[in-house]
Amino acid sequence: MKEIEVQNLTKRFNGKMVLNDISFEVKEGEIFGYLGPNGAGKTTTMRIILGLLKPTTGKALVFGEELGRCDELRTKVGVLLEHDGLYNGLSAYDNLDYYAQLYGLSDGAERKRKIEELLDFVGLSDRKDDRVGKLSKGMRRKLGLARAIVHEPEVLFLDEPTSGLDPEAQIMVRGLILQLSAKRGVTIFLNSHDLDEVQRICMKIAILQNGEIKAYDTVENLRDKMGEPRIEITLSDSKYADKALKILNSLDSVSDCEREGSGLTVVTRADTQSSTILSALMENGIGVEEIKRVTKSLEDVYLDIVRNGREE
Amino acid sequence: MNKLLIVARKELRGIVKTRNMLISVFFAVWFSVMTAPVVKTTGSAPIYAQFDNLIFYMVLMLGLFVAYLFTGLVFSNEKREGVIETLLCTPLSLRDLWLGKVVGVTIPAYLIALLTAGLITVIGNIGSPILVLPSPPVVFHIILVVPAFIAVAAGLMGFAQLMLGMRENRILNLVIFFLVFFPLFFARNAIRGYTLSWFVIGGLMALALILLAVIRYLTRYLSKERIVTSIA
Repeated sequence: MKEIEVQNLTKRFNGKMVLNDISFEVKEGEIFGYLGPNGAGKTTTMRIILGLLKPTTGKALVFGEELGRCDELRTKVGVLLEHDGLYNGLSAYDNLDYYAQLYGLSDGAERKRKIEELLDFVGLSDRKDDRVGKLSKGMRRKLGLARAIVHEPEVLFLDEPTSGLDPEAQIMVRGLILQLSAKRGVTIFLNSHDLDEVQRICMKIAILQNGEIKAYDTVENLRDKMGEPRIEITLSDSKYADKALKILNSLDSVSDCEREGSGLTVVTRADTQSSTILSALMENGIGVEEIKRVTKSLEDVYLDIVRNGREE
Repeated sequence: MNKLLIVARKELRGIVKTRNMLISVFFAVWFSVMTAPVVKTTGSAPIYAQFDNLIFYMVLMLGLFVAYLFTGLVFSNEKREGVIETLLCTPLSLRDLWLGKVVGVTIPAYLIALLTAGLITVIGNIGSPILVLPSPPVVFHIILVVPAFIAVAAGLMGFAQLMLGMRENRILNLVIFFLVFFPLFFARNAIRGYTLSWFVIGGLMALALILLAVIRYLTRYLSKERIVTSIA
């Protein structure tokens, strides 16, 4: 079932095109990564889905409806934006209590139980009475996450959830996100420019560049589709490098071959085996110390897209 | 609980804990102590008229001034700190959010106005041979006109703070201070010795109701897009 559906979305600000005809969907239980460099239009897309901005054309639907037009539908949605949405002057507990009430948790005892459970979940039980203004950025982010799920949403929107956090806090927040997806079945829309983060936790991604979606698929499929098969070869003697280069470039199964120090990087046709390359070199008396197939990382795919976008 | 009341209660509690609340109480006490004894020394008008004029002016003036102080706390800060964007994603309607904040500002500002009225009455009567109390039109003014004008002020300023950018708001704050509070301060001389009739108070009440209707109409123009795109 589709929980988030974006159809031909376009947004202009003062005549400037910020989003250009973007479409994608997020299914129930998915962790969807929305990747792109700063200024690509990620936050604008999220704001339109959340009903904070109106699209110039197109639609952004959650559970089949526009969030901006339906107040009650927003009880099913949790949000952690760039700002944590927390009041510095209130305690950690009071912040959660206020939002819990706004989301309709009217039973005081139930609310208290829920808030204490959440503070425990994010590891802030011992800081519950501290004013938010006194908490570290990592603690605030974790509390922001607790705030976003205080009403047990079915869909969670996260905008750069680990931005500015130290590595330990990043790991913890990512762990919490994965737990939400695995244990509670929450659908997660993750805005990020952190490739490592997206690669680790997202099932499907869209890469946005200059307001357009340049790629949209699962991480594995994107790597397979966009990453040409590569083989890295380390020769036993670098003096044969030029000869090896000449031999490999003459093979039909090789589309490109480059020298890199004492080794070679070979871009092959899709069905080429490493053994074919190895045989060609051995037959010509060139010794090989190491040969390995290299998969293109998401980072490579992403950088290719972003660089191509800049050149356009 | 109604969402509007949840917002109002949160704002009310927040205001009570701030330094602005202490400042407001100080102003209420200070102005009452400084102005109330003057009633007994004046010889230019009947003592009751002087007392009515003083209470009419001071209660309204302080109520509006305190509303001005509190409105900045509940609207501006939320926008400056970016909390407003998250609030707009909750099931709260924009109108409920605005109105909840207006109620949250109006109640403590009105309580300060009532404190001022009480203090002026008490201090004005200390050592007085006769009991001086506000006339019925001024009581009506205190009970209905003052809270209505405080709500108007909080509503209008809150509306402007939501709709305008941070820079425009700073300019607006200066404009309000110099174009509203300075003239109000000097207006006291103009009304001194003037008898406050039901006609005058009724006219003010009518004006407040018209302004409330105008604000109610203006809230149609509140838009999330305008608020989000004008965040600092």
